[in-house]
Amino acid sequence: MPCATPINAAPSLPGGPAVGIGWRHAHYGELLQTRPTLDFIEVHSENFFAPGGAALAVLRAGLEHYPVSLHGVGLSLGSAIGIDDWHLDQLARLVEVIDPVRVSDHASFARGTLPAAVQPLTVHAADLLPVPFSVEALDVMCANVQRVQDRLQRPIAVENLSAYLHWEEADMTETQFLNSLAQRTGCQLLVDVNNIYVNALNAQLQGAPGEPLAGCRQWLDEMASSPVAEIHLAGHAHCGDIVIDDHGSRVCADVWTLYRHAIACFGAVPTLIEWDTDVPALDVLLDEATRARGNAAAVLRPSVMQEAAFS
Amino acid sequence: MSSLAAQQQALLGALLAPPRSPQSQTATAHFAPWARGLAAYQANGHALAERCLRAAYPVVAALVGEESFASLARDFWHHHPPVRGDLAHWGDTLAGFVADSPQLADVPYLADVARVEWDFHCAADAPDGTADPASLALLSSADPAQLGLRLPPGTAVLCSEWPVASLVTAHLHGHPTMDTVAQQVQARQGECATVWRQGLRPRIAVCTHATAALLQTVIDGGSVLAGLQAALATDGGFDLGAWLQAAVQDGLVLGAGPLEDLKPDAAASQPG
Repeated sequence: MPCATPINAAPSLPGGPAVGIGWRHAHYGELLQTRPTLDFIEVHSENFFAPGGAALAVLRAGLEHYPVSLHGVGLSLGSAIGIDDWHLDQLARLVEVIDPVRVSDHASFARGTLPAAVQPLTVHAADLLPVPFSVEALDVMCANVQRVQDRLQRPIAVENLSAYLHWEEADMTETQFLNSLAQRTGCQLLVDVNNIYVNALNAQLQGAPGEPLAGCRQWLDEMASSPVAEIHLAGHAHCGDIVIDDHGSRVCADVWTLYRHAIACFGAVPTLIEWDTDVPALDVLLDEATRARGNAAAVLRPSVMQEAAFS
Repeated sequence: MSSLAAQQQALLGALLAPPRSPQSQTATAHFAPWARGLAAYQANGHALAERCLRAAYPVVAALVGEESFASLARDFWHHHPPVRGDLAHWGDTLAGFVADSPQLADVPYLADVARVEWDFHCAADAPDGTADPASLALLSSADPAQLGLRLPPGTAVLCSEWPVASLVTAHLHGHPTMDTVAQQVQARQGECATVWRQGLRPRIAVCTHATAALLQTVIDGGSVLAGLQAALATDGGFDLGAWLQAAVQDGLVLGAGPLEDLKPDAAASQPG
């Protein structure tokens, strides 16, 4: 049943962004029992593709208390062989059932073909693999995004990646690629601040010049005129020789700094706390959500700094 | 093939092709400057494979042990890579992969356990069924040759030369005991297993060959009469009334109706 009158639809901090958390299996029961103050919850679309069963029942229960943002990881919007009809059918059915506040996926690919004896084998790597920032890749992603939006009859939001390899072929920068995507398709953008920072740290490890935070601020500045629908915040793991966007720890101080810059650029954009690895107690996520409200308030209305739980 | 398609095929080859295959080696060489990043993607794929298969096959994982299962998941990832972006659907061919694996030949019941676990996994996500007990009154008034039973979507039966249902329930629910199931395996005590969903709860139970014959007939779209005949052919003493009463109570039979109203693939449907 669509949530016609979402509870907590208004931001819990007046004038501030709507703030939500990723609702994962570990917190299904506790969230429904305790119903903490949140402006929305986010779930991974693919986890609810099943036509029945406990998962869908839980999501329906959550929908009675919170607006839901559907975040996909498998559409493969950058795939040169196109979107999987089956996947799009499942998403369309879920969107119809849930009537989410937002639908999003990534500027990535995972679907393609492998050579095989008889005919190429279509595969899906189940990962968020980078596309080259080329004219050809932009054309492909525009066509795929347009197809999804035509089917869903609503704009989707497309998220920037944390990428661990880069293609030599590039006709433009990442921000030019994403801005063009939004302009050509009417899609919205989902800015993952942690992903920008992870990419900057990995570039530094690869010997790129410049200070990571400065590069990230420039990235955000270049997106300032784009239609940003949601901001994601998460933790990452520094492994020494590479930084992994593992969503397994608290948001670090530099990413909070960048979040304040993002709010200054984009305004009170709905903000999500993501935590997918070693998911902690619900209170920890709620504390991160409180921090997000406080950080946003510090930018939007400096006078509320003391009122909000900014730390 | 477009240049983008070729680029994407190269990266997919580096991640999904069997590690020592020419395809994998060529693709890996292509990404040599990004070896650490490529390793991160490969590690993520392997971790995901293990996590997804463990969720669908917890008993297979317990039977082969942590290390062997991780290795099995990695091999399976490369030989049967996902074809869709919803990994709940990945793993349907594991039973065949296990059956063909020389390294697992000393666990001859593993493939059948995998088949039952996949049925169990699929039943959990099957469409919701609604009980209609009043419709069972048709059984005493309508022609049983034109009448079918409505089972919960995802219902499946499997008969094995091994105690597959007991192997699964011993690990998942603690009964029978491990000692008992070990004796059953030692004696090669075959079982039929019924998998269905009662409300939101997937269930598995041992059933008789007669019950399995009846259920399979119904799943395949056969009538109540055909199901009964199949059961009686296996066990002349089969008592349909007694079985039906228990089956309704357990949520295994939701109702009855004219055959033309019951789609056979609705009961047997599995995510595909």
